[in-house]
Amino acid sequence: MRERDLTTDEPVIRLDRVGLSYGPEADVLADVSLQLRPGSMTFLTGPSGAGKSTLLKLAYLALRPTAGRVSMFGVDTSRLTRKELAPFRRRIGVVFQEFRLLDHLTAYENVALPLRVLGQHEKTYRDDVIELLKWVGLGDRLDARPATLSGGEKQRVAIARAVVVKPDLIIADEPTGNVDEEMGDRLFRLFRELNKRLNTTVLIATHDLALVRKAKTDVLRLADGMVVRVPAPLEPAQAEPA
Amino acid sequence: MKPSLSPLLPKEDAREAALFFVVCALCFLAALSGLVARSAYSAADEWTDRVTGQITIRVRGDDAATARAVAIAKATPEITSARALERAESEELLRPWLGPTGVPADLPLPHLIAAEATRASSAAGGAGERLSSALMAAGIDATVDDHIVWSKDVKRATDSAGLVALVAVGLLGATGLAVIAFATHATLLARRDMVELLHLTGAKDTFIAGLFERRFLMLGVQAGALGALLAFGAAAFILFVVKQSDQQIWLLPQLSLSLADGLILGVSPLVAGIASMLAAKVTVMRSLSDMV
Repeated sequence: MRERDLTTDEPVIRLDRVGLSYGPEADVLADVSLQLRPGSMTFLTGPSGAGKSTLLKLAYLALRPTAGRVSMFGVDTSRLTRKELAPFRRRIGVVFQEFRLLDHLTAYENVALPLRVLGQHEKTYRDDVIELLKWVGLGDRLDARPATLSGGEKQRVAIARAVVVKPDLIIADEPTGNVDEEMGDRLFRLFRELNKRLNTTVLIATHDLALVRKAKTDVLRLADGMVVRVPAPLEPAQAEPA
Repeated sequence: MKPSLSPLLPKEDAREAALFFVVCALCFLAALSGLVARSAYSAADEWTDRVTGQITIRVRGDDAATARAVAIAKATPEITSARALERAESEELLRPWLGPTGVPADLPLPHLIAAEATRASSAAGGAGERLSSALMAAGIDATVDDHIVWSKDVKRATDSAGLVALVAVGLLGATGLAVIAFATHATLLARRDMVELLHLTGAKDTFIAGLFERRFLMLGVQAGALGALLAFGAAAFILFVVKQSDQQIWLLPQLSLSLADGLILGVSPLVAGIASMLAAKVTVMRSLSDMV
């Protein structure tokens, strides 16, 4: 894989006093500010229901904030039309908590999906997709459909799909939530390798504090609708209460 | 590894089979209505064309009065020809009412004269009235029947039938569009996960809509082709039945399978396909506009 050439220190994503509420009820998020530098790897932690998934949805442009501003690659996305958001989404690879693999497609076809969206011909990416699937340990499962894959295999297909276009930003929502500890470590090493080898900015939401402690990287903690940066790994190493 | 990629929008067998049937039936009815409309307009034109200029004169008198009436008609500038009908010709005209046994020999028949006016004078109207006045002035008791008068009523009736058939085509088309839109919406809901995934992957709305457009274009064309084929079969069957009949039916002989009919049948699948595609596109684009 090619090394990424980053020539700017502009935050990949920046949230300025962002708030989100559904109707008159209490805010899901209130006054959240954060920014991710290019090439950084950051964990987002917090108890279940704290709004981690909502915050990630704002980050991968599935939602618009009801207050504040979300900037991607130096551009205020609130000023963009739906059509103008599409190119920004193509620079983001998302690993969804529930995988979101398409049942009627094979593992190979699921991974190739973003490339088909970009209009690329199969012959131009076929070898790359196969290499990527081998890299995540699924070289012998190319033709397998999601129904026949284990939770860990599905997770790795989802990761491969998120990185196949070499995005500038990878956002993963509880990527180790459905796998055992060994597979969790293995998936984490995949993210770490992507971060190091391609200098891809990585944002991972998790409540697995053991994983966070091993990572020894910056942590954002979300609670009560607010984000607090925690520079050192949390202690003790245990999961947040569900 | 499969030689080709699976379609992004998978087939929904049960739902699409039902939709295929509905579109096929609608296209069948629309094509048949189109044929009826064309037939009605064609019949109206042909009948008008056939009777324009035809005038029948019924003389109440003897052969001498009839001969004078023919002479007066021939002398009228707008009349191009006039001749007295033979008794056999008059009997032939009465056959539909009196049956195959024919007319009794001792039954007196009216003296009829078949005259033809110029097309221009007939279309302008009044040729029959002027001839009637000339006969009356000559002291001949006769009734002049200008066919153009009642042919206008026939044309009005057949035009109305054609218009009704065209309205039926329009209604069937609108129903087809509504059905396709409904089916697209259902497919969209069933595949919401896929649509959202494509959207979040950065797919343009036109890319996503294109998946549905191609699907429903093909469905519309295929179902439309089958519907048009069935309409052709139905029209051919009706034509066969009509031609088997000994009875003369004044309107039905206009039903044929001409080049115009072939055009209607040939265009139907394309119209069904394009209409299906557009209905799918509008539905998908409207649904996508709800997403961020």
